[in-house]
Amino acid sequence: MPGAAPFDAAITGIGMVTAAGIGTDTAWETIVTAEGTAASPVPALDGTPSAIGCWIPGYDPIQAIGRRRAWRFDRSSQFAITAAAEAVGDSGLDPSTWDGTRVAVVLGSGIGGAASWEKQHHVLLDDGPTSVSPLLIPMLAVNMSAGYVAMEHGARGPNLVTATACASGTTAIGTARELLRQGVCDVVITGGTEACLIPSIVAGFSQMGALTGRQDDPSAASRPFDADRDGFVPAEGAAVLVLERAADARARGARVYAHISGYGASADAHHATAPEPSGAGAELALRAALEDAALAPDTVDHVNAHGTSTPLNDAAESQLIRRVLGERPAVTSVKGVVGHSLGAAGAIEAAVTALTLDRQLVPPTANLDSQDPRIELDVVAKEARAATVEAAVSNSFGFGGQNAVLVFTRA
Amino acid sequence: MSDTYERLVQLLVKNFGFDTDEVAREDTFSKLELDSLALVELTLAVQQEFKIKLTDDDLDANDTMEQAVKVIESKPVVA
Repeated sequence: MPGAAPFDAAITGIGMVTAAGIGTDTAWETIVTAEGTAASPVPALDGTPSAIGCWIPGYDPIQAIGRRRAWRFDRSSQFAITAAAEAVGDSGLDPSTWDGTRVAVVLGSGIGGAASWEKQHHVLLDDGPTSVSPLLIPMLAVNMSAGYVAMEHGARGPNLVTATACASGTTAIGTARELLRQGVCDVVITGGTEACLIPSIVAGFSQMGALTGRQDDPSAASRPFDADRDGFVPAEGAAVLVLERAADARARGARVYAHISGYGASADAHHATAPEPSGAGAELALRAALEDAALAPDTVDHVNAHGTSTPLNDAAESQLIRRVLGERPAVTSVKGVVGHSLGAAGAIEAAVTALTLDRQLVPPTANLDSQDPRIELDVVAKEARAATVEAAVSNSFGFGGQNAVLVFTRA
Repeated sequence: MSDTYERLVQLLVKNFGFDTDEVAREDTFSKLELDSLALVELTLAVQQEFKIKLTDDDLDANDTMEQAVKVIESKPVVA
């Protein structure tokens, strides 16, 4: 909407389930210490050629969701339910009294319930079709995480899951903000979830050459922007935000972590998995997000980068940041700590960016021992940096050439 | 004395998150909050546990655990 006043969506609640911790405060504490959380082998991947991953051994679905219900949900939905419960509780809103018809749920997920699908495929092959679980479809279908979150909180407004591969979480939050701007709801529970550290999916990424080869040194394997980076570390996790119109949040005296003030999306229209080398597609999304926020590119203080630790992504993304935003922003990638959780990544990074604005502290990029000399950016390494952050950008780029960028401003 | 009831309870414990003392012989599946999808899931688990063949209608939401035991025990064991 060129010419329209910028629209601020207030982030009033955050919930996180990550390898860095379950719960927002625990996750943040680990992220600011920049310690890699990858493990090898991940039990579910043991015996496969690429068994490294950022998994969440401490997540107990029975404790989190209840023993009588947990079995019904795929792990990706379990994560979403847990993160959403934390976010809604954190927001101070009360689902027992809110008008549920005005509450939307928009989550992102790249793959959906792949672990349940893989398990039931074994059942199909071993025992035949009449032994397949009747819950396979609600466990597998990519939309179910949002459906279940709605059931948990009586959220009867628009409900959907966005699938733009590794940009899914960012696409979800951008779409959620549009629903608020359009006035079709007053509250949105939004974020992303992913849980597919399973042999078939990880083998697929491995076969395309996207993953790190550092099986024997897991905590150092995810090293965004480092000269010796060699691929991403697959991860699982979820993050959920509660968004409200800024005026509504102010009126009820809610604590606001940050505002989401701009969103841009685009497609490379180039290649299945490789980023368009000039970055022109991603640049469209970044410039659209800045325009949406009515922000000049040279006023951005901080970039929470996609920063996957793959040679191609980090090179292309750093050129984009340098070209559009210049040398000014302090750049970080939390994937050095939490790995790459695909459709959840953008949501986890949105949560971290909101906390960065709230706490005026930029988390460092883990394992950045020797910055790639071709990456001419101010990447925050080793230690968190206290900084004045008024405006920040979070990039996400997905296979399929799908790009999504959020702009955050200080509340 | 057969152990069919105890084994059925153990399926509910293992697969559906029940505590042993949450289940009684006179409880219907409906009272145990097992919906239609859960009953199909239970049917699969019973077939595997008891090496029998059940139809989709053999376990009904209004059946008690005791009635289910009788159904299970009426079925011939298949190889």
